[in-house]
Amino acid sequence: MYNLVMKDLKLGVHPAFFVMPLLTGALMLIPGWIYFIVPLYFCWITVPNMFGQYKAQNDLLFTSMMPVSKLDMVKARVAVLAGLEILHIGLAMIFGLFTNRLYPNMEYFFFPPHMGFWGLCFVMLAIFNLVLISMYYKTAYKYGGATVASITGAMLFAVTAQWLGIRSPLLLDIFYGDGIHNRGLQASILIGGIVIFIAFTYIAYRIAARRFLRVEV
Amino acid sequence: MLALDIRHLNKKYPNFQLKDVSFQLEKGYIMGFIGANGAGKTTTIKSILNMIHVDSGEVYVLGRSMAEHELELKQDTGYAFGGIDFYTHSRIRTLTSVIKKFYANWDDDTYNSYLRRFKLDENKKVAQLSTGMRVKYSLALALSHGAKLLILDEPTSGLDPVARDDLLDIFQELVAGGEISILFSTHITSDLEKVADFITFIENGQVVRSCDKEQFKESYLLLNGAASQLPQVRKQLIAYKSNSFGFTGLIHACDFDPSSDIKAATPSLEEIMIYFAKKEDAHV
Repeated sequence: MYNLVMKDLKLGVHPAFFVMPLLTGALMLIPGWIYFIVPLYFCWITVPNMFGQYKAQNDLLFTSMMPVSKLDMVKARVAVLAGLEILHIGLAMIFGLFTNRLYPNMEYFFFPPHMGFWGLCFVMLAIFNLVLISMYYKTAYKYGGATVASITGAMLFAVTAQWLGIRSPLLLDIFYGDGIHNRGLQASILIGGIVIFIAFTYIAYRIAARRFLRVEV
Repeated sequence: MLALDIRHLNKKYPNFQLKDVSFQLEKGYIMGFIGANGAGKTTTIKSILNMIHVDSGEVYVLGRSMAEHELELKQDTGYAFGGIDFYTHSRIRTLTSVIKKFYANWDDDTYNSYLRRFKLDENKKVAQLSTGMRVKYSLALALSHGAKLLILDEPTSGLDPVARDDLLDIFQELVAGGEISILFSTHITSDLEKVADFITFIENGQVVRSCDKEQFKESYLLLNGAASQLPQVRKQLIAYKSNSFGFTGLIHACDFDPSSDIKAATPSLEEIMIYFAKKEDAHV
């Protein structure tokens, strides 16, 4: 599987998409912005380009000819996708720390970048992965419908979470009010988000693997 | 020993069907796999590589079942798909560095010797290679991981006559040692006239015949006669063409009466293919 991951990283993913997390992460420095957009850039730009490249370069046939199992092919692709997502969120979190230091008295209308918010970002990407990976592996090369559906799912979650965060007094307190100083609460939301991200991505892998075994190249 | 043993492959699609496809390739020989476009050559090759799920049938490579030992057997098998390119914007050096990691028996010295022999520049991108050079690059990769069976799908399509001839010479050199076997699908039958030891002819998803090339050609006769002679053989002809001078038709050699005064000659592979295609058209 390691060789397949390296294959995707060296051939399938354009080097620009390894720089992208740094650029999108820097957007965290915009004060009071809609920070949900930062990880969404990965969904909007990186994923369609990556999957388009796989299709244009006949990656499915190329990989199928090599001595690798179909399960490893799915596992490696999911690992690359999740790895890039973690890179995006990880760098955005680091920039978020600077944002909090740079603008300590900022009045936020959209979620401020605290740990709880990053937990929500992980849930958003979990939904994205569940839809994208499971739909994509119906064919393992058609990515248009899977991309549109997964981006829609992720954005619906982001919009709903943001709306509830503003409308619900409880959530307002957790994400804007005193709750942001409660490290335990914030950390537990982040950990909860990470757990959901891992669980959904694993479920997506299982569905994708089952579907890919039926795919004919 | 058999390099490739295909037994009773069946695969049904809504508009096409592979029907009981069986043939065998002896180790150290070149087999031409011929048939018109859409006859089932690529579908058969994909079945061999386990890329499609056959409804029934078995594939044995170097004596072992492909279904049971797919990963080990892919280590011993090399492929080239003419007209399909992979990662064309990558440099050969990069592509090779990725591919070689998948093969346990990869040999850098062998690879470098083939690069020199085929005059391949590692710094070039795949897109910068001519069609013939791309096939040679596929061969260099396959031979560097010690492939014993080469499966080449239309490798000479799109090549100029010089490049084709060059490639055919390479194929002959490869099998000369008796270790490497080649299954070579094409519709350019003149290539097979030069290099193939065996022919498997597929038509409309069914193997018409699989045997030694000369035996294959000699099992048919191309008849040339006057229009008045046509009724004598019309029923036995596989297909025929009429013109103002008479008719030309293909017949099974066993169906022809040598005492007849109709001119008969051994047909070329191309003529056999053409008359079989004509027969199919007549049935549509």
